Amino acid sequence: MPDAYDDRRPDPDALLALTDNNKRGKLKVFLGAAPGVGKTFAMLQNARRLKADGVDVLVGLVETHGRSETAVLLEGLDLLPRRQVNYRGGIIEEFDLDAALARKPKLIVVDELAHTNAPDCRHPKRWQDVEELLDARIDVWTALNIQHLESLADVVSHVTGIVVRETVPDRVLAGAQDVVLVDITPGELIQRLHEGKVYLPQTARRATQNFFTPRNLTALRELALRRTADRVDDQMVDFLRQGAIEGPWETSDHLLVSVAADEHAGILVRKGGRLATRLNASWVVVHVERRGHEESDPTRLKQIDDAFSLAERLGGQTQRLSATDMVAELLRYARRENATQIVVGRSRSGWLRRLMGGSFPGAVVRQAADIAIHVVTASRDEAPPARRWPHPETKRFWPGFVAAAVAVAAAVGVGEGLTQFLTLPNLSMVFLLAVLACAARYGLWSAVAASFLSFLAYNFFFIPPIYTFTVAEPQELLALLVFLLVAVSTGTLAGRVHDQAQAVRQRAEHSESLYDFSRKLAGAAKLDDVLWAAAAHLQKTVGGSVAFLIPEDGDLQVRIAWPPDAELNEGEMSAARWAFAKNEIAGWRTNTLPNLAKQFRPLVTPRGPVGALGFEPMARGEAPTPEFERALNAILEQTALAVDRSLLIGEAVRAAALEDNEKLRTTLLASLSHDLRTPLASIAGAVSTLRQLRDKLSPAKADELLESVEEETERLTRFIANLLDMSRIESGALKVKQDYVDIADCIRAAVERGKKSFGGSSVETSVAADLPYIRGDAHLLEQVLFNLLDNAHKYGGGAGAIIHARREGEHAYISVTDEGPGIKPADLTRVFEKFYRGGRPDGRKAGTGLGLSICKGLVEAMGGKIEAQSPAVRRRGTRIVLRFPAAKIKEGLPA
Amino acid sequence: MKQRVLIVDDEEQILKFLTTALEASDYEVIRAENGRQALHLIATAAPDLVVLDLGLPDIDGKEVLVKARNFSVVPIIVLSARDRESEKIQALDLGANDFVEKPFKIGELLARLRVAARLAAHETTRPKNFEADGLRVDLDRRLVMRAGQQVKLTPKEYELLAFLVLHAGRVATHHQILLHVWGQAHVHDTQYLRVFVGQLRAKIEAQPDTPRLILTEPGVGYRLWDGE
Repeated sequence: MPDAYDDRRPDPDALLALTDNNKRGKLKVFLGAAPGVGKTFAMLQNARRLKADGVDVLVGLVETHGRSETAVLLEGLDLLPRRQVNYRGGIIEEFDLDAALARKPKLIVVDELAHTNAPDCRHPKRWQDVEELLDARIDVWTALNIQHLESLADVVSHVTGIVVRETVPDRVLAGAQDVVLVDITPGELIQRLHEGKVYLPQTARRATQNFFTPRNLTALRELALRRTADRVDDQMVDFLRQGAIEGPWETSDHLLVSVAADEHAGILVRKGGRLATRLNASWVVVHVERRGHEESDPTRLKQIDDAFSLAERLGGQTQRLSATDMVAELLRYARRENATQIVVGRSRSGWLRRLMGGSFPGAVVRQAADIAIHVVTASRDEAPPARRWPHPETKRFWPGFVAAAVAVAAAVGVGEGLTQFLTLPNLSMVFLLAVLACAARYGLWSAVAASFLSFLAYNFFFIPPIYTFTVAEPQELLALLVFLLVAVSTGTLAGRVHDQAQAVRQRAEHSESLYDFSRKLAGAAKLDDVLWAAAAHLQKTVGGSVAFLIPEDGDLQVRIAWPPDAELNEGEMSAARWAFAKNEIAGWRTNTLPNLAKQFRPLVTPRGPVGALGFEPMARGEAPTPEFERALNAILEQTALAVDRSLLIGEAVRAAALEDNEKLRTTLLASLSHDLRTPLASIAGAVSTLRQLRDKLSPAKADELLESVEEETERLTRFIANLLDMSRIESGALKVKQDYVDIADCIRAAVERGKKSFGGSSVETSVAADLPYIRGDAHLLEQVLFNLLDNAHKYGGGAGAIIHARREGEHAYISVTDEGPGIKPADLTRVFEKFYRGGRPDGRKAGTGLGLSICKGLVEAMGGKIEAQSPAVRRRGTRIVLRFPAAKIKEGLPA
Repeated sequence: MKQRVLIVDDEEQILKFLTTALEASDYEVIRAENGRQALHLIATAAPDLVVLDLGLPDIDGKEVLVKARNFSVVPIIVLSARDRESEKIQALDLGANDFVEKPFKIGELLARLRVAARLAAHETTRPKNFEADGLRVDLDRRLVMRAGQQVKLTPKEYELLAFLVLHAGRVATHHQILLHVWGQAHVHDTQYLRVFVGQLRAKIEAQPDTPRLILTEPGVGYRLWDGE
């Protein structure tokens, strides 16, 4: 059965993954459950064995912690000197990444993968150094304790009670070719600790000792063993696929984690990630927004962003969705993505919604017929309870609160006034008006405050016994409570409408400014215009200086900076190069060179990065807000597209020029072959006729043939001379003498030569007496004039030519005019192009198309100008005008 | 009676020597300097042969060919440049009888003119035999003899040879040969033609490596040498 055979073929993706691995260095991680299990020792022992086999091994950085058994192993191995870094007055030693890259060993040993670098280093974390080494095709061996693994950090904190700050993303471990588990039993480890064989920093000794309890160590060991076992399982599946060994391996699960914008998002992501790892499944984190109620609160937006970036660190994908029916949208997405399981958090909706329509997870469970649902509860010690009210911004809160007090006071005043004239059974409407006014003007929080103030004021001033907070009549109490309820709910609703309107207004302003910006960009075609427009707009958003860098001659260069005199230092340039080359953000508040004042972002288009943006934020200490991020991203996207477009236009123009060039070359070839072949054909034909048919030819006929051979030889000679002139002009080999030239002499010589060459038609000359000398080459000027006379003869219809020369201010003016049919206005400049030919009156092609372009070349080489005018005389004819600067004759020449 | 040749060329010098040479070779010469004039003369002056330059100032030489073929079967020999190969093939497929590459010697042109005239005379009375360089082809008896020995040909090889014999001395384009011998479906299969010509040469040429009978016109077709 051919199908079964086909199924056993190696999975191409699996094979591809194998070949891809060859492009990077190989990572080997020595994984341990806790410090002191002997990772470094094992690593160095193996390294020595490899060194003995002749492999180029370099020890990049290993902490021996003064232990002699480890130090002995280092002997005979190449050690990379450490980099001295000034930090807070002291000097600390760090791994020298650049030296390692420059040395480029086959294999480098770098201990303690989870280490945090000193602030001056390129990357904040050592695992990032390792990534760069791997990118440079250097194999890396490193050591890691299981507690530092990102996805396990919360579990470890939970189990051991110690907060883990230094974490390594799971993908680093997942990307390792080999993971070696270095394992000893907890008992043995504790014994080693007591023997002083485990190094612990002096300061943390007591705290750390609490860590080394059998309970903790067993838990950690289980984590390490389990993680390694999972890996082995994955590898088994990979081997099966690569080798096309028939199953059974699991069908791959796809996990979907639905998160809301709350504190549970992170926990949910971690749980989903762990579940996915255990199931060996791919996973995606999804946030569904209700359409029309998109999140505007910065805190909650940040929670979603944080959850998403955590998911990406843990190896998951992320997706934002927006729909009116959130549950249906989530399930639609899940089905489209073939999700087999969905993870949702429990506390998603408030009690009201739960009463009315059931909770979000409930709805998901009810509607997801075929997909397994995990409903996850965030345990109390993992997260504080969710805040249901968005925290008001202090800036907006106080004016709102004052306004609420004023409004309620006014309501009291109005109420007092009204009761003077009217007997109203209920004044609550007046207070409701105050609540609504606050809601409309100052939003939710002001309205809520006004509601409660109204409740108190109403009670105090108007409900008997007045001027007390006590209520005499039970029905009054009821009315008061109903009032409070109504006030709070109307206030809340109105306040929300206000807040949403404000959010919408902000978004509208944002879109408008973006629209404005994109319109400006659309109007700019040139790269510099695009960048100036973008820089001006960005400067408003960013606040600090802005610079655009575009690659020129293989290196990034600052193309546009705002303010224009802003310069980048060496560190900033390297961050910019990093951003451009790696397509990542670098500099301020990133993982690469975080100590810089500026941040650098690549300008990314579908064709790849086209440049980089550097900017200095106004407030260095503050993290960029999500709004800022969004605005910046929007501007960057627009700019990148505009830059790309302008680059493409440039390329299109160049391509068009190239095409024109190609066309010219084709015309040139066709023209050359015609102009060379025709005289040759005549000569060959005439000569062969003479040879073969001599007996039959009359002497007159034979003479005619010989004459034609002569003429054609002459023609060929002229053509070749023209070609040579042209190539001399074009290659710059033309040497122009700088003599004083008497134009009248040249005219006389050219006319003489013309008479000899084509005789016949008359040439009329008129030369002014005050004609100045010009600087140049008399021979070349004569050649130009001869060519012009030749043209006049060819195209002038036999009417003869007129040469006119006079002084025009500081210039000498020469014109050659014929009375032929003239040149079409559109062709007046084209006649000077190479191989352009005008038609002869009888419709034949004529000439070589070189005469005028040679004239132009020669005239310009002598510093003059040439132009064609047509019609010249009585709506006919062509006039070619030459202008040369008049030469300054030195005074005092002997007369 | 002298044969009348129409020369169509816009180059004065070429017209001049062609006229001289053809008149010296006992042709009557009439001349046209452009396409329109040429068509007019083909229609009214009844030339026996036409020498046509493809590069004309008013209308394209190929157009002249097409229009002339609508009303005349006069043999037309095309003058063309070596580098205009596709133009040459087009002209032949459009009904030109032969071509001469510029620059050429007068003897070459005269030979082509003779072949064209002879073939035109034979349009009505087809040749029954062909004999050259030790090869004899008897079209009536379908017999092919090489130095007195009968040569065995496959049916297609014979058809190929017979087609060349019918056009002896004149170029036959790949397209024409393929169309007549193999049919419309195979007009682009020039590589097969090459193989068949190779086989045929092996059987009828004295030295198949340096063929003297079936001559290759590179990129255009084949010509059977007829002793000229």
